Amino acid sequence: MKILASVLCLLALAAVPVSGESPAIGAAAPAFSLTAIDGKSFSLPDATKSNSLVVLMFISTQCPYSNAYNDRIRDLASAYSARGVQFVGINSNKTETVQDAVEHARKHGHTFTIVKDSGNKVADLYDARHTPEIFVVDKTGKLRYHGRIDENSDDATKVTSPDLKNALDALLGGQSVARAETKAFGCSIKRV
Amino acid sequence: MKTLAAALLLGGTLLAAEASRLKGELDAKGLAGAIAREKGRVVLVNFWATWCVPCREEFPDLVKLESAYRSRGLTVIGVSTDLRKDSAAVEKFLASNSPGFANYRKKSGGDDQDFIDAVDPHWGGELPYSVLYGRNGRKAEVLSGKQTYPELERKISRLLLPAPPLGTHH
Repeated sequence: MKILASVLCLLALAAVPVSGESPAIGAAAPAFSLTAIDGKSFSLPDATKSNSLVVLMFISTQCPYSNAYNDRIRDLASAYSARGVQFVGINSNKTETVQDAVEHARKHGHTFTIVKDSGNKVADLYDARHTPEIFVVDKTGKLRYHGRIDENSDDATKVTSPDLKNALDALLGGQSVARAETKAFGCSIKRV
Repeated sequence: MKTLAAALLLGGTLLAAEASRLKGELDAKGLAGAIAREKGRVVLVNFWATWCVPCREEFPDLVKLESAYRSRGLTVIGVSTDLRKDSAAVEKFLASNSPGFANYRKKSGGDDQDFIDAVDPHWGGELPYSVLYGRNGRKAEVLSGKQTYPELERKISRLLLPAPPLGTHH
């Protein structure tokens, strides 16, 4: 039944035209539902209703840039879960299997929800280009932040612009995000 | 004659050896200057990194493309986005591919977003990424992700078409 639901959900996603552009800040974040690597189902509309914020993270098991942030995303997810922020890892790379994602999560202590985006449907919906790439969705389902985790992939101790953290702090404090769109280098998402 | 041939051969070898090493660092301003110096030629700027698998896969096609179209007016400029600490890997990669074109490393420091936006505001930072400039020095097209050789050939061929001779306008 769960498999059937996933298939139906992906079929529904496939019917949505790909815009070729990420949703604008303040626009509705495209809804999607996928099965997580632990077998549970994940629905963005449900997650936004039951959390203050949802952080969607396009990540990879192989990309060095994405892997440079393994500890940082583990710590951020842990620190902000008590404040009602759900972190969700999305693996859209066709070259990485569910088993790869399971092993990667175990190795790096990633206990947050991770979904496998087979056929990169969700990456297409968001026009996510690379890993790591972040989208923050608020309780009303609107996109509030899009971009990088911070500006220094090389050295977490020398970060001067913790953009994701700043965005979360601002939104949790009822403020608008000063820098709602940021960019960084990353590995292209390997699409089908 | 033999001396001249030897000199030419040596020159060619030196040129190839030179191109197989990083030529230096470039920031966005330096890159703009390097592109401007090629005015009159079609320029393809390719951003790559040694850790980027599709970049590594695409690079040999760029080497082949540049070699095939250099005499017809194509200049390729490679820009590695690797960090300075990975210079050895970059040099090793260049040595194994022997590009006939110059490669630079994106200057370390600063905010990558400033560099990305200066190259193209629509660029999200994904690699590989190439920007094509026409003979007039203006940006003609951006190519996100790995391109195949036929795709690259088709895109540059259109830009390499010679300008129509004077007096042919209707």
